[in-house]
This record gives sequence, C-alpha cells and structure tokens, in this order.
Amino acid sequence: MDEQPVMVFKDVVKVYPLPSGDVTALDGVSFKVNRGEFISVMGPSGSGKSTLLNLMGCLDTPTSGDIYISGTRTGDMSDKELTELRRDRIGFIFQYFNLFPLLNVIENVTFPMMLKSQKAVDPEKARAALRSVQLDDSLFAHTPMEVSGGQQQRVAVARALINDPDILLCDEPTGNLDSKTGAGIMELMSELNRKGTTIIMVTHDLNIAAYSQRTIRIADGRIVE
Amino acid sequence: MIFWEIAKRNIRIHLLRSTLAMLGIVIGVVAIASMGILGNSLVLTVSDSLKTVGDSVIVTPHVGGTMGGFSGGAGGLSSLRITEQNFQQIKRASAPNVAIPVLQTSDRMKLGVGSDDIVAAIYGLNPDDVPDLLKLKEGGYSRGNSGCLVGSTFATDHNVKVGSRIAIGTDGNKGTLRVTGIIEERGMAFDVSTDSAIVVTKDWFDETYNRDDYDKVVVKVKNLDDLPAVKTSIENQMNKRDKIVDVVDTRKTMETIFAAFGQITTFVSAIGGISMLVAGVSILNIMMMSVTERIKEIGIMRSIGAQRKEVMSMFLYEALILGVVGSLIGGAMSLLGGYAISSVLLQTTKYLFVYSSLIHIVYGMSFGIVISLICGIYPAWRAANLNPIDALRHE
Repeated sequence: MDEQPVMVFKDVVKVYPLPSGDVTALDGVSFKVNRGEFISVMGPSGSGKSTLLNLMGCLDTPTSGDIYISGTRTGDMSDKELTELRRDRIGFIFQYFNLFPLLNVIENVTFPMMLKSQKAVDPEKARAALRSVQLDDSLFAHTPMEVSGGQQQRVAVARALINDPDILLCDEPTGNLDSKTGAGIMELMSELNRKGTTIIMVTHDLNIAAYSQRTIRIADGRIVE
Repeated sequence: MIFWEIAKRNIRIHLLRSTLAMLGIVIGVVAIASMGILGNSLVLTVSDSLKTVGDSVIVTPHVGGTMGGFSGGAGGLSSLRITEQNFQQIKRASAPNVAIPVLQTSDRMKLGVGSDDIVAAIYGLNPDDVPDLLKLKEGGYSRGNSGCLVGSTFATDHNVKVGSRIAIGTDGNKGTLRVTGIIEERGMAFDVSTDSAIVVTKDWFDETYNRDDYDKVVVKVKNLDDLPAVKTSIENQMNKRDKIVDVVDTRKTMETIFAAFGQITTFVSAIGGISMLVAGVSILNIMMMSVTERIKEIGIMRSIGAQRKEVMSMFLYEALILGVVGSLIGGAMSLLGGYAISSVLLQTTKYLFVYSSLIHIVYGMSFGIVISLICGIYPAWRAANLNPIDALRHE
C-alpha cells in the first residue's frame, strides 16, 4: 500500500460572502484519506457536506487552508489544472446518475477517456469496465433513457472508473434507487474497494454508510467525530 | 471527436428548431447572392452593350460654347457642326490613331411597295472608315453611292435582307438604296448607335442633305493606355482659347457607369445582408436556448474533466453546422434564384455562370458561416464559463 495519503485536508475554511453577511460552510476541517479506504461522510442538511464534496472534487477552492490530492496542493491551481486533476485522478458518481442523454451507454463510458487522450479511443476498455459492473453487453448500444435506474448507476460507476482514478467520489449513490437496487450498487462499491479503489461517499443513510470502513461526521461546518 | 458528435446529435434531436434557424441563414444567403448576381448581371449586360466603344474618344461640338470655330454660328444647337478644317486639326492631334468623321440625321423611308413610311436614323460614313467602326454579320460593305448597311434590329423589325431596297425621303424622293450588309448588334453606344439605323456613304449623305461638315468625330485609339493622352491632345489643340469641343473618353465614361452599377450591387447586397443579420440573431437565440437547456449537462462535463475550451467548441460546432448547412442550401437556392431573376429581369442567363456572378454565392455563403459562428460565440462562451457547481445544481 502507498504510504502517501490520496487526500489531505489541512485546516480548510470555506466562507461564502453573501449580501446578508458571510456564511462559513466549513470551519477548520482537517482529515486524511489513505489509499484503499472506504469512507462515508454524514451529517444533517446544511452541515457542509456538499461544500466538502465540492472541495474534495476540486470543483471549488477553499477560502483558507490546504487541500492535497495525491500529494499535489490544489489551492494555487488554475481552472485548467483543476479540470485535468478531476479528469485524471477523481471519479464522480452522482445521485441522479448524470449520464449524457445524447450518447449511448458505451459512449458515456468512453467520454472521459476521450477527454484524457484527446483522440478516438478503443471502446474495448469501456466494454470491460461495463462488464466489471455487471452490465449486460446487450445494453451497450442503448441510450441512458432506455435502461433502468440501477443500470444507469452501473454505467455511471463504469464511467467514473474508466480513467483509473485515485479516488471515487460518490454523492448519495443510492439516493435515487429502490433499496434492492441500491444494495446491489453498494455491493459493487464494496467489491471495487476490495480491489483497491479508494471511495469517499456522502450519504445520510446509516444502512448505506455501514458499507464503509470509516465515517466522517460533520455538523455546522466542523468534523465532530 | 466526441464534441462534434454531440453537436450533430443535438441539432438532430431538435430538428425543427435547428431547421428554422438554418432557414434564416438560407434566406440571408439567397438574398445576398441573388442581389449580387443580379447586380453583376446588370453590369455585364451594360458592359457587353458598351464594350465596342470602350476604345474611343468622341469629339462633339461644345454645347453652350461660343461656336466660333464651327459652321452654323448661333443658329441653334441643331446647327452645331464640326468643319472639315476642325476635323483635320482633330485628325492631326490624334495621329497615328484613326479619326472617323460622322454625319447624322434622320429621315422618312419606305421599305417596299405598299408599306408604310417609317422614320429612322441615318449615319453617313466614309466607306474606308466603315470597317474600323462597324462589323457586319451578313453581306458586305457598300462602296458605291447606291448601297447602304442596316442595323441588326432594323433588319429584324422590318424584315430587311441583303439585297432589299429602301426608298429614302417622302415617297422615296431622295433616292433608293440597296442593302449590301447587315451590321452586328452594337447595343448602346457613345459613337454611333446603328442597331435601328441605316448607314450610307458620306458622299451620298453630302449630296442628299447638302452637308459638308460633321456631327461628331470618333477617334479609335489603338492602345487603350493612350486614351487619356489622345483626349488631352485633342483638347489642347481645339480648346486653346475657348472651349469649342467636348471630348469624351469612353473608357472613363464606362468606368463611371460601372462604378455606379457596382455601388448599386453593393447596396442591394447590403439589404440582403440585413436579412442575414436577422438570421444571426435567430442563431444566437437558439444557441442561448440550447445552452440554457443543457446547463446541467455542461456541469457534468466540467465535473468529469471537460475543459472550458472543449465545452465552447461543442457549441461553436453547433453554430458552424447550422451555418454551413444553411449556407450550402442557400448557395444552391441562390443559383436557382439567380437563374429565375436573370431570366425574368434580364431575359438571359448567360451572365449567371461566370466567375464574377458565382463569386457572390461564395460571398453569401461565407457571410452566412461567419455570422453563424459570430452569433455562436457568446452562447458558447457563456456555456464554457458556467460555474460547474451551479451548473450541476441546475434543474
């Protein structure tokens, strides 16, 4: 196992300046995520979970403090560099799947590969990724609207993994699925984690959080345990 | 490239609205190209009509001048003439180019027994000068005083052939001439407009109308670059003290006419350009709709690693496709439109398939593509600069 943490937060503060006054969403948050960990982030609404997820996904930058992704400090990065970091090191899984409706299943999965390689790619890797999330070959040519929610989320997982990211960031990955399908997705996550994928998952479902090895609880912008 | 593919599919999925946007471009291209083709065809029509006289300097008595050097004194404009002495001066000033004295009048004439009298223009020319000035499409040049040439329109209108006889004057009291040749069509001309006229020998003209002076002198300049110099030379020779002749460089006159037609072409094309600007606004509107509808999609793209320039390129591709397809259809329709307009307004399409006409289709198409791209820039820029977090939250 690599000794270097894949993610480090050091005294991270995020303040949103609003006309009615500044709102502190995160207030001195510090933690580390080691390679191969499966962490869940829990907290009530308004606790700062989404802000934390945006910072972890390099979609936003902190007001103060430092964030390191695989040893690289993100604070001084340009938009272009942050975009490259998201593309190469981070995989996203969203509650509403967020697949591209104009692309079919296989194209959705090859999309991040094309962003990385800047040229046409061999779809065989995408097919393998889709098979690894137990999606049947007969669905590869379908559009997202033509497959079920659970199957869409499996496509989203395959898309998130296609560039071999250091971290898989999941935002309520089962929030839009029935319990049986959700359980299937979580089994898949656990399997991926067993194979070495680092997973950080935001949820407020204790049953889902139970799949993780460690839980970060957050309240009023601070880590409480 | 995946963004090109997405742009294509987005157009296909919103086919009706994309078609309407393209229709604007089609109309714009057709308007610009058709107006340009029409204007150019007009220029070419006039050019064809005038090209036979583009190598001449025309000398006429100065209207409103002192008339001191001319016969007729102050007897009115119709009596203004160039004397033989004046002609010799003009001839010397324009040497070694050919100076052709021209006599001109109009008279009644009868074209056959029992036919009605008509009135037509009559030109009197020295037989030696005629081949320098006129080309025949049928028959031969007349040498003797009993022959004449007729213009092509005259021949067609009055069913005159080589060998026909024309009685000049009331009841033919000035004699009968035999047609020896039919002159090629010359169109509008600064020197002699022979299409609806007859041409007789100078001697016959002198005897019949008792004239020994000229209405104008046409100088045929061999080297077109010498036109201004010949004009200046004649002016210096003839208008030393008083302005007694007007000297017109026909090429200069033609250039002025063509410049005026060029301005008309530009003006009507600019009117077509306004419709293109309206089409551009339509593209802008549709692209803004496309961006607004796809904010969440843009957020997903940005979150999984699409650069701003890649998102921008996707929308620019969309604008480009609308512009290129609209322009291609517009270009094809411009050919049909140009054909129809030329057929109806000019009664000929021979000026359509020439470079100077077809280039207006290229101009129209280029303008259509450029306008589409320009109008796609702001929506594309807006899409590329959306905050990924806000875009992801968008419902």
